[in-house]
Amino acid sequence: MKRWFNNPVLAGELKIRMRSWRTVLMIMGYLAIMLAIAYLFLETSMQTLSRYGSVNISRDLGLQLYTILAVIQFMLIIILIPAQTAGSISGEREKQTLDLLLCTPLSSLAIVLGKMLSSMSFVLLLTIASIPLFSLVFLFGGIAPMDIITLFVFYLITAFAVGSIGIFCSVLFKKTVTATVAAYIVIFALGIITLLLGAYMTSEFAGKNPHFSGVYIAFPFYLNPAIGLFDLLGQQSGGTGGVGLTILGVSSAMYNANVAMTGGLSWMAQKLGVWGTNSVVISVIAIILLLISAWVVKPVRVLKTHSSKRHSADASVN
Amino acid sequence: MLVVEDLVKRYDRFVAVDHLSMTVERGHVFGFVGPNGAGKTTTMRIAATLLAPTSGSVRVAGFDVMEEPIKVRRKIGYMPDFFGVYDNLKAMEYLDFYGASYGIPYKERQKTAEGLLNLVGLANKRDNYVDSLSRGMKQRLCLARSLMHDPELLILDEPASGMDPRARVELKNILKELKNMGKTILISSHILSELSEMCDSIGIIEHGRLVVSGDVKNIMETVSGRLTVRIKLLDDMDRAINILKEQPLVSDIFQEDDMLEIGYKGKDEDLWPLLKTLVASDVPIISFSKTDGNLEKVFMEVTQDEEMV
Ligand SMILES: Nc1ncnc2c1ncn2[C@@H]1O[C@H](COP(=O)(O)OP(=O)(O)OP(=O)(O)O)[C@@H](O)[C@H]1O
Ligand SMILES: [Mg+2]
Repeated sequence: MKRWFNNPVLAGELKIRMRSWRTVLMIMGYLAIMLAIAYLFLETSMQTLSRYGSVNISRDLGLQLYTILAVIQFMLIIILIPAQTAGSISGEREKQTLDLLLCTPLSSLAIVLGKMLSSMSFVLLLTIASIPLFSLVFLFGGIAPMDIITLFVFYLITAFAVGSIGIFCSVLFKKTVTATVAAYIVIFALGIITLLLGAYMTSEFAGKNPHFSGVYIAFPFYLNPAIGLFDLLGQQSGGTGGVGLTILGVSSAMYNANVAMTGGLSWMAQKLGVWGTNSVVISVIAIILLLISAWVVKPVRVLKTHSSKRHSADASVN
Repeated sequence: MLVVEDLVKRYDRFVAVDHLSMTVERGHVFGFVGPNGAGKTTTMRIAATLLAPTSGSVRVAGFDVMEEPIKVRRKIGYMPDFFGVYDNLKAMEYLDFYGASYGIPYKERQKTAEGLLNLVGLANKRDNYVDSLSRGMKQRLCLARSLMHDPELLILDEPASGMDPRARVELKNILKELKNMGKTILISSHILSELSEMCDSIGIIEHGRLVVSGDVKNIMETVSGRLTVRIKLLDDMDRAINILKEQPLVSDIFQEDDMLEIGYKGKDEDLWPLLKTLVASDVPIISFSKTDGNLEKVFMEVTQDEEMV
């Protein structure tokens, strides 16, 4: 475990990243977009507030601002992460530095993880930089600091999942350009396909069970972090923030406990909620993708069948 | 130190390395010579655990590259023929980064890196960004990089390409120093004359096969077994060639501008009659000198013979 965070690839990558002007420009551009949107929103809604100012309206405005910022940040992360990760391995290949890295004793998994973690820390940096903006929401009430922390954790999980697709493409394709385009196509195609498939399955289910009164959530929805985000936001705003899973016809029904749930993984959703289940599912897929990526990057692949002797020797030492 | 046994590497149907066997003794410098596409880089990449062989085996210090690649990686320092560097990293940090990859503790790798920068003559560039260095400097830095973990075997794929003559001499000195430190070195090059001075043994590879290998001196003797004479003329090139062709001891004649290079099967004392014959025929000779059979010619000969087979 210690070795993971003492990862030389991560350390080197961070050093290089933090030195480059691109990073600085990106953070500035990122904050500028967020700030512009927050400003536009406040500018238009302050008038409403000053005219009909009341506690309830203020709280609703806060929730709306929070939702808008959260969705924009989510979109920015989805857009930035593939560009950050899709060049990670193919870029080393193009720069002809990959061989130098592969002939060190570093495992290919450590290399892939180092790349992944460095992209994640970039996301972490962006989200932390956006905290002052998010704290505007506290002026209106309705959202607690813990909500924001939960949201950020969900961002990291999303970044991890989306990033693993980027890394996977980076490993498969020789050129960064191809890998980046492929990553965007895969990510957006997955986003749309999971939504359509989920919606189709939901209507099929409704057609077959006209009298079902519980909640049915089709499995493909758990593959889409946008669903998790809307569920999380709906939950945080107490189902009244105007978002939530209304698109699925579930909305606040979800948050009244004791609703019968069916559909794939409903046992997990009952315990962790939709966004929790969503996080688990996409994390598992991301881990599998990273393991496959590490396997593909590995220059010399041997199926170790005859070295069980050595393995057992290792085990006895531990 | 390095044992290659019956190594075969196929890309689809193309055979890049064809049943190659060779051994590099501990402490030796082994020159790996061959024309473009002969399979040098392929063989070296297999030894550096970057490529899996189709069949056969390579062992470094007793460890098989396929079975124990990590142990092999700790034993070897590999310098590829083409390589890149990271932008935004200084020379010192570059070495530090690779040192960290080998799990060397911070203090120790800083010390090693300083020492190696001195060794390769880049001490004054320690705080320069790597991508601002010249190509030859990058190559020396890459050599330093491959030495960070104090490997026993160095695998250098054409380290001298891209270096100016001065840098080549410096490289040669560095390699001598490394040899004195007890390192085993496998070096490939196109500059054969350089290898001949530096290497204990050489292997000539063509079409993935080892054509000749062994002690440098032995190879020179067995393959050429004769003298090379350079004759410089003012004029009358064709007449000189005709006269030389009639000489029974002259084996072959190469023409290069105003210079003739001939293979001569006789001994030293047979040379002056040759010169006398030429002068007597009024050929305007301005220089006539015996050169030691150079590796380049050995190489040309061996590879030509191969092609004729
Ligand atoms: N990835 C590959 N796919 C297909 N063929 C390859 C590949 N890599 C090398 N080859 C072929 O294998 C042969 C040997 O190549 P290699 O690079 O080992 O030669 P070399 O002796 O290093 O040549 P040079 O002196 O030009 O560096 C060449 O004919 C090359 O075309
Ligand atoms: Mg080569």
